[in-house]
Amino acid sequence: MIAGAWRQRFVARALPYLLIAPTLTLVLMFNVLPAFNTVNDSLYKPARGLNAAGKPPEFVGLQNFADILDDSHYMGQRFLRAFRNTLVFALATVMLAVPLGLLLALLLNRPQRLRSLWRFAVFYPALLPLIGAASIWSFIFSDSIGLANAVLRSLGLPGLNWLGDRNLVLLSVIIINIWKQAGYFMIFFLAGLQNIARELYEAAALDGAGGFQQFVWLTLPLLRRTLLFVSVISFTFAFQTVEQLQALGEGGPADSANLLLYLIFQNIAERRNWGYVNAMTLVLIAVVLVFTLGNFLLFERDERGR
Amino acid sequence: MTRNSRVAQTIAATLTGAIGLIFLLPLVFTILVSIRPENEPVTQGSIFFGSEITLSLYQHALKIAPWGLHYLNSIIFVGGTLLVQMFTVTCAAYAFARLRFAGRNLLLVVILLQLMIPSGVLLVQNFRMINRLGLFDTHLALMLPYWGSAFGMLLLRQAFREVPIELEEAARIDGANLTQVIRHVYVVNAIPAYVAFALVSLSSHWNEFLWPFIITRSEDIRPLTVGLNKLIKTTDQGAFYGQLMAGTLIVITPLVILFLLFQRQFVESFARSGIR
Repeated sequence: MIAGAWRQRFVARALPYLLIAPTLTLVLMFNVLPAFNTVNDSLYKPARGLNAAGKPPEFVGLQNFADILDDSHYMGQRFLRAFRNTLVFALATVMLAVPLGLLLALLLNRPQRLRSLWRFAVFYPALLPLIGAASIWSFIFSDSIGLANAVLRSLGLPGLNWLGDRNLVLLSVIIINIWKQAGYFMIFFLAGLQNIARELYEAAALDGAGGFQQFVWLTLPLLRRTLLFVSVISFTFAFQTVEQLQALGEGGPADSANLLLYLIFQNIAERRNWGYVNAMTLVLIAVVLVFTLGNFLLFERDERGR
Repeated sequence: MTRNSRVAQTIAATLTGAIGLIFLLPLVFTILVSIRPENEPVTQGSIFFGSEITLSLYQHALKIAPWGLHYLNSIIFVGGTLLVQMFTVTCAAYAFARLRFAGRNLLLVVILLQLMIPSGVLLVQNFRMINRLGLFDTHLALMLPYWGSAFGMLLLRQAFREVPIELEEAARIDGANLTQVIRHVYVVNAIPAYVAFALVSLSSHWNEFLWPFIITRSEDIRPLTVGLNKLIKTTDQGAFYGQLMAGTLIVITPLVILFLLFQRQFVESFARSGIR
């Protein structure tokens, strides 16, 4: 009897830990530990455990970081270009796809003919695999038979080498991303719009505010949080969405459209670059971590405030 | 209705239609190209359908990769991932929603780290971890990193908290054990949250490419996206865009159909996925 009671208490005590153990173990194995290993391996050359047989890994301190920040170093050149591209890509997404998402939400929030068709039209790209979306666009952007050039030529303009011209290829990648993400961002704004009470608009209309004034003085301030939230996730997602490059010339020519995570992916099997790969990953982690944490704290505070 | 607002309505409707059409164009174009005869320029035959409607490009695409096998692998990948996730996420969500224990907040923060350091950016170290475990090129390697889901745990914890605690107490008095309580009190009252999580999980893994690509080698394991990659790489050399479009449609059609069937659930689920 006593042993049974003791066992019951022990089970009750241990139960919560048993319940969270699978999730916790997996997070430790595939998120926390790898993050620590990234820090550690970024300090070695080539890296712990992966060097040529018999040769111990060499501790080099912050040398890997110095190298990837050095424009004359072969990896530094690539990293700096990919990092700059990633920033441009992310900022373009925030500045173009997010406002477009907001516009789509405003347009599609009102009852109208064909609304479900248009909602499908702008949302389906969000469902496609990035690599599939990119393969569709690789055709649209193709030199001789693509749709983009057909449109340009029908307007009497010369066709462009969308995926081969180093000044254009990043732009092409950005266009695809806007098409892919705008509908996804739209749904956050739709949810936000539905939380705004109708009466506010009626009151504003009574006071003589026109549609545009209502948008500037009512809708925008009330959507401020959503706008901030979507901007931050679009920025951090941009650092993680690189699979399209696989179908769009692999970041080339000459890394002109390469993105950071894709550069890391390209070097994953290069043993001599292991230290650099980890240093670059750490930069990526830092960006994603800071912005996600910021958003999360903001979001949580909001939840508690309610 | 004033004249002004009628003008505004017309402008809004036109703008909606214009943007909608532009967004639809790639899909329409893809479908049209995939049913044209091979290598037939757009200027030949009917602009929309070419000189005839044919599925020959699909036959070509089918020859390049074993799509049936890739379909099976994709289903195993997303199905196996979701199945285990459902279990781990339910357990953890219940613990964090209803039980008090030492270190609860700290452990919650550790799990939430997954949202801040997503597996996607840890590609390199996770590749190494899988190799160390001797799991390279297995179905398990694909799924394992995703079996714990902080996003799902958060979603369900919230749903579980909204279940009145009296329901659990009543079930306990009736002699229900823990498994029964979780199943009959919590799970049944959190179905919308499960649907949301399932749709987000299914679609994100169905679409995933980098991880399956680096962690597998044999076609017996590789999912659809990796098969599509093979087709893309063939296209590089000869610009067989028609068959690439056919192959792309082979890959994306199931999700598009799923979306058409569950449009509202999809939109609602994705609206909750910002923290994923």
